[in-house]
Amino acid sequence: MNKSYFFNLKSKQKIIILVLIFTFLFSLITGFWNGSYDLEIIKFFKNELDNIQQFVLKKIRFPRVILAAFVGSSLALSGACLQGLFRNPLADPGLIGVSSGAALGAAFSIVLGSEIIVGGYLKTFLLPLSAILGSVVVIVLLSIITNGFKNSNITYIILAGIAINSLAGVGIGFLTYISDDAELRGLSFWSMGSFEGISWNLIIPSIIMILITTLWTLTFARKLDIIQLGENDAHRLGVNIRKLKINIIISSSIIVGVSTSLVGMIGFVGLVVPHLVRLLGGSNHNYLLIASILFGSSLMIIADLISRTIIQPAQLPVGLITSAIGAPFFLWLIYNMKRK
Amino acid sequence: MSICVNNLSCKIGRKEILKNISLEINVGEIIAILGPNGSGKSTLINTISGNLKKNSGEIIINKKKIEQINLKKQALIRATMSQSHKILYDFKSKEIIELGWIQFNSSNFSEALKKVSVECNILDLLEKNFSILSGGEQQRIHFARTLIQLYNDFRDEERYYFFDEPSSNLDLSHEMTLFKILKQKANESYGVLIALHDLNLAYNFADKIAILKKGKLVHYGTPEEVLNNKNLSEVYELPIRVNKDERMIKYY
Repeated sequence: MNKSYFFNLKSKQKIIILVLIFTFLFSLITGFWNGSYDLEIIKFFKNELDNIQQFVLKKIRFPRVILAAFVGSSLALSGACLQGLFRNPLADPGLIGVSSGAALGAAFSIVLGSEIIVGGYLKTFLLPLSAILGSVVVIVLLSIITNGFKNSNITYIILAGIAINSLAGVGIGFLTYISDDAELRGLSFWSMGSFEGISWNLIIPSIIMILITTLWTLTFARKLDIIQLGENDAHRLGVNIRKLKINIIISSSIIVGVSTSLVGMIGFVGLVVPHLVRLLGGSNHNYLLIASILFGSSLMIIADLISRTIIQPAQLPVGLITSAIGAPFFLWLIYNMKRK
Repeated sequence: MSICVNNLSCKIGRKEILKNISLEINVGEIIAILGPNGSGKSTLINTISGNLKKNSGEIIINKKKIEQINLKKQALIRATMSQSHKILYDFKSKEIIELGWIQFNSSNFSEALKKVSVECNILDLLEKNFSILSGGEQQRIHFARTLIQLYNDFRDEERYYFFDEPSSNLDLSHEMTLFKILKQKANESYGVLIALHDLNLAYNFADKIAILKKGKLVHYGTPEEVLNNKNLSEVYELPIRVNKDERMIKYY
């Protein structure tokens, strides 16, 4: 609503954000210079790297780590927005089915994309666009089921998410069955959730889309705070609820859809990060959204680093790492909810 | 200037909740809405606040139809406190009050916060976590949040407060404080509309009384005109006696 709102952070929150910025820079640098192929920082600045080392750094490491940062920030940001909008601590793009909707959309374009004849330039956008479409369909479906999110009862949405997840599973299973060898290969690599095989020309359009949407999403901070009072009270305070819902649906679908289309389904980041950030410094969204972005991207860079170094020279799917961190946290959350 | 409600009808689903209600809210006045449970008090407040769509009739705020005033403008000229609800995530009480500060600029919020906290006697609650407060304390914070919504610089038009049972969880002394604040707001030429159950409070503080029963406005006038043995006994289906000398209403 007002630009000055973002500078109205409490001093504790300013410090947290500063620390998170340093954490982010640290993980970025660690991500760049660590991996199965040895690189030395000093040699890069002295310009002593040979051609292969240059190639590894510029064409493989840089895009991979930067994409990890954007994907992490997208998942965390959309988790924070959905948790705020639904007033539901369990809202996570994975749990409520948005990610699997995106996955189904992406699978469609991998398997059936070759049948559709489109121009070369449009073809690069086919995968992210169909993934976005998939997540839009899921959120619209959720909105219909919950009567415009009026029935934002926790169990209700999670149950709907379970149903949607298994429906999408059916779709993806069917597509796997009818795909030929090449398509199957693409599908199974992609669905494990991994940052392998990322290149600049693949990620630049997506990064631009995520960046613009993220900046747009940050402008909803104040409205997300006000909606915590309930929809009726928020309406009386001048918030157009319908418009806010549509905006958040669109922005979440874009960032989750684009991320999923590139790296597959990565669970629990959207759920865990906003909760940790709330525990650190408070629930006001001007702080929450920015801190979630920083935290989410750092977490994802580190998770990706672990995934590609832990069993060198092979790689684990990064989704495995995030689930290994996230699932116990999820259990702790449920345990805590019961005590409240 | 005033809020005029003419022939207002409202349906929720198929059920007609309000039937041809007409009343006027003038600045400087407290209007109390009384009536049994389910008589339509909350629906009336929700409709005038713009939360519910009316089926027929009109609501005119400061000579403009409610449909012609945009949401943000409405929020600057009227503030509504509804029956309270839970807030999921952890916020400090101060932050909850700040959500009512819609004319957002950080420069004068602290001044308004100080003023409203002294008025409502909530200084000791400001730094506390809202979700650990008692029901009554939460209600006092929501009350302060509603008051501060109109502590802005928008003075071009008359402004109004609507309250839906604002003291349902309060002890006697805090209830009295709240009603004294309402009286003071009326004196500062705000219009005040309040739904409540306590007949004695209505009798002593309201300038006008509107009694709803089954969605109809059955009695409307000054407390002296409306609150008498016959009217009250009929509405509440209970023997009720008004003691005018002590300004007391007794029920048996």
